[in-house]
Amino acid sequence: MDCYTANWNPLGDSAFYRKYELYSMDWDLKEELRDCLVAAAPYGGPIALLRNPWRKEKAASVRPVLEIYSASGLPLASLLWKSGPVVSLGWSAEEELLCVQEDGVVLVYGLHGDFRRHFSMGNEVLQNRVLDARIFHTEFGSGVAILTGAHRFTLSANVGDLKLRRMPEVPGLQSAPSCWTALCQDRVAHILLAVGPDLYLLDHAACSAVTPPGLAPGVSSFLQMAVSFTYRHLALFTDTGYIWMGTASLKEKLCEFNCNIRAPPKQMVWCSRPRSKERAVVVAWERRLMVVGDAPESIQFVLDEDSYLVPELDGVRIFSRSTHEFLHEVPVASEEIFKIASMAPGALLLEAQKEYEKESQKADEYLREIQELGQLTQAVQQCIEAAGHEHRPDMQKSLLRAASFGKCFLDRFPPDSFVRMCQDLRVLNAIRDYHIGIPLTYSQYKQLTIQVLLDRLVLRRLYPLAIQICEYLRLPEVQGVSRILAHWACYKVQQKDVSDEDVARAINQKLGDTPGVSYSDIAARAYGCGRTELAIKLLEYEPRSGEQVPLLLKMKRSKLALSKAIESGDTDLVFTVLLHLKNELNRGDFFMTLRNQPMALSLYRQFCKHQELETLKDLYNQDDNHQELGSFHVRASYAAEERIEGRVAALQTAADAFYKAKNEFAAKATEDQMRLLRLQRRLEDELGGRFVDLSLHDTVTTLVLGGHSKRAEQLARDFRIPDKRLWWLKLTALADLEDWEELEKFSKSKKSPIGYLPFVEICMKQHNKYEAKKYASRVGPEQKVKALLLVGCVS
Amino acid sequence: MAFPHRPDAPELPDFSMLKRLARDQLIYLLEQLPGKKDLFIEADLMSPLDRIANVSILKQHEVDKLYKVENKPALSSNEQLCFLVRPRIKNMRYVASLVNADKLAGRTRKYKVIFSPQKFHACEMVLEEEGVFGDVSCDEWAFSLLPLDVDLLSMELPEFFRDYFLEGDQRWINTVAQALHLLSTLYGPFPNCYGIGRCSKMSYELWRKLEEEEDGETKGRRPEIGHIFLLDRDVDFVTALCSQVVYEGLVDDTFRIKCGSVDFGPEVTSSDRSLKVLLNAEDKVFSEIRNEHFSNVFGFLSQKARNLQAQYDRRRGMDIKQMKNFVSQELKGLKQEHRLLSVHIGACESIMKKKTKQDFQELIKTEHALLEGFNIRESTSYIEEHIDRQVSGWPGLLGTVCHGLIPKDYRSLKTQYLQSYGPEHLLTFSNLRRAGLLTEQAPGDTLTAVESKVSKLVTDKAAGKITDAFSSLAKKSNFRALSKKLNLIPRVDGEYDLKVPRDMAYVFSGAYVPLSCRLIEQVLERRSWQGLDEVVRLLNCGELAFTDMTKEDKASSESLRLILVVFLGGCTFSEISALRFLGREKGYRFIFLTTAVTNSARLMEAMSEVKA
Repeated sequence: MDCYTANWNPLGDSAFYRKYELYSMDWDLKEELRDCLVAAAPYGGPIALLRNPWRKEKAASVRPVLEIYSASGLPLASLLWKSGPVVSLGWSAEEELLCVQEDGVVLVYGLHGDFRRHFSMGNEVLQNRVLDARIFHTEFGSGVAILTGAHRFTLSANVGDLKLRRMPEVPGLQSAPSCWTALCQDRVAHILLAVGPDLYLLDHAACSAVTPPGLAPGVSSFLQMAVSFTYRHLALFTDTGYIWMGTASLKEKLCEFNCNIRAPPKQMVWCSRPRSKERAVVVAWERRLMVVGDAPESIQFVLDEDSYLVPELDGVRIFSRSTHEFLHEVPVASEEIFKIASMAPGALLLEAQKEYEKESQKADEYLREIQELGQLTQAVQQCIEAAGHEHRPDMQKSLLRAASFGKCFLDRFPPDSFVRMCQDLRVLNAIRDYHIGIPLTYSQYKQLTIQVLLDRLVLRRLYPLAIQICEYLRLPEVQGVSRILAHWACYKVQQKDVSDEDVARAINQKLGDTPGVSYSDIAARAYGCGRTELAIKLLEYEPRSGEQVPLLLKMKRSKLALSKAIESGDTDLVFTVLLHLKNELNRGDFFMTLRNQPMALSLYRQFCKHQELETLKDLYNQDDNHQELGSFHVRASYAAEERIEGRVAALQTAADAFYKAKNEFAAKATEDQMRLLRLQRRLEDELGGRFVDLSLHDTVTTLVLGGHSKRAEQLARDFRIPDKRLWWLKLTALADLEDWEELEKFSKSKKSPIGYLPFVEICMKQHNKYEAKKYASRVGPEQKVKALLLVGCVS
Repeated sequence: MAFPHRPDAPELPDFSMLKRLARDQLIYLLEQLPGKKDLFIEADLMSPLDRIANVSILKQHEVDKLYKVENKPALSSNEQLCFLVRPRIKNMRYVASLVNADKLAGRTRKYKVIFSPQKFHACEMVLEEEGVFGDVSCDEWAFSLLPLDVDLLSMELPEFFRDYFLEGDQRWINTVAQALHLLSTLYGPFPNCYGIGRCSKMSYELWRKLEEEEDGETKGRRPEIGHIFLLDRDVDFVTALCSQVVYEGLVDDTFRIKCGSVDFGPEVTSSDRSLKVLLNAEDKVFSEIRNEHFSNVFGFLSQKARNLQAQYDRRRGMDIKQMKNFVSQELKGLKQEHRLLSVHIGACESIMKKKTKQDFQELIKTEHALLEGFNIRESTSYIEEHIDRQVSGWPGLLGTVCHGLIPKDYRSLKTQYLQSYGPEHLLTFSNLRRAGLLTEQAPGDTLTAVESKVSKLVTDKAAGKITDAFSSLAKKSNFRALSKKLNLIPRVDGEYDLKVPRDMAYVFSGAYVPLSCRLIEQVLERRSWQGLDEVVRLLNCGELAFTDMTKEDKASSESLRLILVVFLGGCTFSEISALRFLGREKGYRFIFLTTAVTNSARLMEAMSEVKA
């Protein structure tokens, strides 16, 4: 293990940088990288190459080829470029390839070369052509910045929600800037550009000249600039071979370095680790790679081949035709353990474990040494942490073994950090595998989160691996397995060469009733691919009928949607479908549809009753529902109409309807009411007072109370009021008037059809015992006792 | 008297949690509109709201003034208006008119509508049509279960009855399912489910679906309530239409119990003020008489008064120390009891006064005659007389439900009714028919098997005559058959002792066992509908009776004696009393969940067409 630190290179006193190989590239590149447009996505993402770019030769006959590879060089896609000339390539945060064309149109491709969409960067860009373009990442998503032929900048901070922003003009700018970059500060995107010896910062409103503090004199031009992964730091490379490093706000200088190479570097990127104090920039020329930091000496590497740098969160990836390497600052834990002659607890523990395996008593000595200092916990932690930063599984294992060994001598060491590290490493080793080709470091993995990682696996159609990871990490089904299966199904429906039945069956077999899988989402995808029949088949598997409805509506299967909505029992859903149907169908068809769905019909009727009375009438008309139509007009006669004529007319319509409904009774009753209304109106005119809207009974009572006995009797005859009722009515009314004389006369007009007990009762109610006695004698024998009791003649 | 619970009766679950839940949710919603705001409350929601959160709680959450939602312009000057309403189109128009008036006046305020228990798409539609959808924010207050008493949960949705049984509108079914879902999440799953009626079945199925979608939550919980029984009101209209004679029911019929409390007017309190009394198990006097037949109540109260007097009298001959003890410990309780006692005595008096006026005895007698099915002719004329005299009440309906009327009687009854109460009731009758409360017997379709056999034996002419005779008697209807099958009219030798009830019939003076309660009793006894096929057929619920038992037997014997009865469309206090009695007999305890507490008057109002 003595040679372990062989690839460590010190930079200054405090930091080491190491470079190790990730993959030997499998791709079979025909051309040099320098002849291609290259874009590699961060977080171990894919690499896109567009060969044969236009700028080099004008051989229009040869169509360029766009190729996409995994980080390990496995081909993912290859397609002939048929669109216009491309200026720049870049990957979005969702791993979509953005190709910026010369005319300002951005074409978006998926990981597998599938065309997604395109958008334009605006007319101004179209007219002046694109000179240069950058894809950058912000907290909102991925942005595009464009430099046009008129030396103006246009940018969009988020291509997902495209808002074009034209940056202000740089005064006196005649030629293209020597270098520029997009900066993100305070959630706003800026442009920093260098023109000769001057630097300008463009924001929405203004263009301001800026000067880096402590910049060495004699600079006549800036050749390169680099912003760190987190947008916190900025590095400038000048024509004097001088490198300035400072904060991106240009308020503070961190360090400077003079490399004395005046040739413009091919690439310059930051190489720093989160939470590390070290700052370093990697500069690449044709055959030379230099790591420069706050130290008088730099680290130099020789590049055997044409290479390309990809800045990462915690280092730099460097790939060429044959290899793919990672260059980073050695993390603290690793440094402590592996530094030559390190006495750090972790180093001792690792040593102890090795001795233990050799069955040497030295193991005990080392262990004692750590324990005496009380640093065993720290030692275990160090080993666990260092394991995370190792790329080689054998090193990971030996460190974890050491940690596990140390753990045995600790009473209460919480096991979860160890377990989690084992799990994480297992996942990382799996995805770093050559066939998968996602070389994530531990820090990147933590930053990315497992959910995003799963998404990326799904994006690469690595469904089985994703599911294995979910199961291994015991993620909840809804977040894990179900989600992946659903994605798989969405992919499956796009396989156009398989028949609808087979796809539907295959999907159902795999997914079954897995909780959290939404068949309707999958069906929506199928519909999106133009497979309506498949969508309907898939919807059949959806257990929640409510979920089926929106898609069915979209697919114009409104009637099916209606029955599904009714099945769901959700009246709101039914209502939604109804409104949809109402707009989609003509009135007649709409009503016919309703007719077959009583539940929907009554729902709609309820709505109409309150909002659209006329529609309600039409509904009844359509159904020849004369009974309801009659009721409708009866209601209208007192609810909607004010004038007597109107009311009578409404009643007439109602009566006609009732006749049609063969409801003679209702018809007659309605006609009676018409007569009564007219009569009441006449009574009001002749006698004054209010009669309209009284019931027949009340009308007669009012007449009696008003002393119009003749009229009352006439009315009773006209409307064939039964004798009994008339007697009750007059009895009550006269008693109310306390017109005892008239009452007596009335009682003697003929034999009472209701007997005489009511007379007694009503007199007693008015506390008129004298009158009551008169009638008590006339009460029939079977009720005599009761009457006498009432009057109080107990004897 | 005043039946105590059996010692082995299971404990009731604590339903006050439902109140807390509703309160917390409301507060959360109010806090969504920070700052001072005026609250507009729909009249129907006022009493339920009062039981959940009183004014001081509302004030704590920056409610400034309270208004009632009514058809008047609002005088509120607040910058934030919050509306607490039922999801009705009428209310939406009100909100829209307010917002539009503000717009005309160039005023901008914040508006928030809180729908209880849920919002309906139609409401949002109206807001949209009126052009105010963007100005108003909508929220839901999922308050669907109000515990009115320790064993009574009400959804306080009286409109459920009309909406579902008359208009065929199923939108509340979802609310019912949600409420059941809430209960099962709080109190564990129900191992045994039974139900009858279309609405019950739909609610049950929807509820199951909800549980399936969210499964895992209730799994593994021990059930607290062993059985649930869902019942549609239209399975048994008869019971709901009977005049009530159990104290609590009678108080409801006479004074109208609203949301668990009643306003006793001056005639009860014998002062010039009316008094609002909360009627529940906490009222010691009331809880002893609520389930009693009215004829016992007065005697009981006077006995109680005597006891009270005796306790007061103990004061005499006490030494100072005892007296001190008495005053500090007992006197308050006695005073309280005294107050309650005088209230209930007042109520009894008032009931007696009113009821004799209305020939209450006659009415009850007629009802019983109708139930038993004799003297139809006499009863019909009694009903007619009632209508003629414009005496309120609807005894007529009872008869029509039981037997169906022959067309002639039906027509004359209708004519009389229209003459008395006005022509708009033509629509009321059409409503009653639609809901199945009124049935007109078509001649000829009442032939029984016997009759058809007879008619086959004799010559055509004679047969015609015989059938005529039968159909004019018109006594054959499902209710008769059901009554026989389920033994609803108990045979009594001698007087039915109302003091010591023998069966549930005591709630109707021993004349009739409520059909709904008998069904529940029978099903619980069998633990299924097995053997009740004929009954189910007679109820016209062929496919609509269901049983669902879960296999796992985690339910304790205690929980298996707790039964939740769900009345869709309302239940009456008589039914509650009858089931409480059954519970005591069998060692069960019943919990009642109803869409609203109802009675004959409320049912009829729901069916009536009134001029707006």
